[in-house]
Amino acid sequence: MSGPATSARLPPLGPVVLVTGKGGVGKTAIAAGLAEAAARRDGAAMLIEFGDGESGRRALRRGTRVVHRVVDPKDAMVDALSHLLGSQLLAKLFLNNFAVRPMLRAAPAMRELAMLECVRRYSEELPGKRVVVDMPATGHGLTWLRLPVQMRDMFASGAIHDLAARLVDRLVSPERASVVVVTLPERLVLGETIELCRALEHEVKLKVARVVVNRFPAELPAEAFEQARALLARGGPEGEAAGELLRVIEARRAVRKDALDVIANAPGGALTARPLVLAERLEDPSAEDVATFLEEQEAA
Amino acid sequence: MKLPLTIVCAGGGGVGKTTTSAAIGLALARQGKKTLVVTVDPARRLAQAMGVEVDEDVHPAHVEPAVEGKLFVLMPEPRRSTPTFAKILFEGRPADLERLMKNPVYTTMADAAASMHEIVSLILVAKAIEDGGWDALVIDTAPSRNALDFVTYPGRLAVLFEGRAVGWLGSLSQRVNAGEKLEGGGLFAGAEKRIEALFARILSARFLRDLTQLFADLALVKDRFARFARLAESLMLGSSTNYVLVSAPSGSAQADVVYLHRRLGRLEQTPTALLLNRADDAPPPWLETVKKAADGWPALKGAVTQVEVELATRKRAGDRLAAALAKDVRGVRQWRLPTIEASDPAVIVRDLATRLGPEVGRIAPR
Repeated sequence: MSGPATSARLPPLGPVVLVTGKGGVGKTAIAAGLAEAAARRDGAAMLIEFGDGESGRRALRRGTRVVHRVVDPKDAMVDALSHLLGSQLLAKLFLNNFAVRPMLRAAPAMRELAMLECVRRYSEELPGKRVVVDMPATGHGLTWLRLPVQMRDMFASGAIHDLAARLVDRLVSPERASVVVVTLPERLVLGETIELCRALEHEVKLKVARVVVNRFPAELPAEAFEQARALLARGGPEGEAAGELLRVIEARRAVRKDALDVIANAPGGALTARPLVLAERLEDPSAEDVATFLEEQEAA
Repeated sequence: MKLPLTIVCAGGGGVGKTTTSAAIGLALARQGKKTLVVTVDPARRLAQAMGVEVDEDVHPAHVEPAVEGKLFVLMPEPRRSTPTFAKILFEGRPADLERLMKNPVYTTMADAAASMHEIVSLILVAKAIEDGGWDALVIDTAPSRNALDFVTYPGRLAVLFEGRAVGWLGSLSQRVNAGEKLEGGGLFAGAEKRIEALFARILSARFLRDLTQLFADLALVKDRFARFARLAESLMLGSSTNYVLVSAPSGSAQADVVYLHRRLGRLEQTPTALLLNRADDAPPPWLETVKKAADGWPALKGAVTQVEVELATRKRAGDRLAAALAKDVRGVRQWRLPTIEASDPAVIVRDLATRLGPEVGRIAPR
């Protein structure tokens, strides 16, 4: 499981690590692995997940020293607003108002802001320990991370403005947070990842500290390629079968080469971090497997 | 209006849902049906391979000569959802459109709204279907277990446009912006007064003003919105809609279809098919042929063994997935599909379409 140019040093990670990437790229496994590696080193760490907490539980082994916190979108609004107003009763009164309720159901941004506020509060529970946030897969990673700045500016004043401003200072600030982007070895997916890295730096002032290219296909031996070609040249059913194997070998080669090319040619230092290439697993990797990989790569 | 044969593909991320949707579309086009494939989450690589643009228009797909003029693709660009939404609803009202696009509440909230792009995609589908002439429609939903939440979303928006909340907010905004102090009103003040004071405390005067203006603007186009919303709803929730769940051997992909199956149940829908991608069953016959011919060629033999080991692992994972889903997504027929390795996504789409072709009538019987 080694990547290209493994000698280059990676930038250090901040106390909060935000793991982002589109759905199905293996984001949760990487987030759980980062938390597991931190827990091995520091004795404890936190993994924050959105939703029902099921995927984090699946990745972490029993008895792990990773504290698992789940931000439930259903409760996030009441939770965040109760803290803001100092009263759960007032929060519920506001949220159940006949004008507010339909408005909030139609505008998920407010709920998303409340979810980030829950993340911020959890992230301050274990001082000195690493907090890893498995960001939601919905939308572009950027939409979530620029939300605090947008909301701070949209509400020129008032309680929500203050809340958003606090998130900007204490959660999505370059001093507190590092971003880890998980992606796949596909030309256009990688292209989008590079674009995301640049946008994060320009719009949210967050540098991407790690890019993990997941599911990198296993290579088949180069000699096998030559021998399959020789078999193909013989023709007949054996030649035809060899042609099928050649197709598989070539497809994997193309995927590997393409991905490394895109990364190497990323414009304008968009990828400041050396990419971490994680070989394709045929089954779900555990948090411990990923933690070991990250330690080997000096990326934990 | 006669609705086309409609297939909605749903599943978690990374299961090959978009490729599968394109393959079903190609299989239908090969049967001579004029087919529109819509992907909510654009797959740029696939778009490029099929020669279509990622934008707000319907494009002819160039996948194979036999289906030229039969297969079309609509892949809306998520980054343009906010202006597209406004442009469609405010067609013919340039002044109102300009005011809306300058409203910071609209641009911020719409941009940050996770479901915005899904609604825009559905509105674009509704528009295309209204133009007519389609035999079949394949909708590839967003790669998330929450992909179906937006089905009921237009209805939620419609509630907003109704008068009561808008009027109340408008008068509150006027008073706040006129500098009126909204105190709690002491112990004996009515609940209404307390709420107003709470509003002023939580929100800001400028936000209230922009929000009121936004509601007033959206109310102008509520009829047009309602028309698209109704059409989109009948496409997604009609009795002739075929829901196809797509999964793959990974813990999250398995959990996602179980969740989506339950979610569909609440929408009074039963899936018609469960497609399991990368759930290899028997190894392909060519592997055995190469193995036999590879005597004396150790490298070739090594490659065959490596592929065999991978396939055996995939088969075990596929068996586990099939068994688990037979229990958790009861009564829905399964189709197992192999891993298809090719660097050109169009090759994968054509291969899958050939496998699914004879089965399409059973996958989408409604």
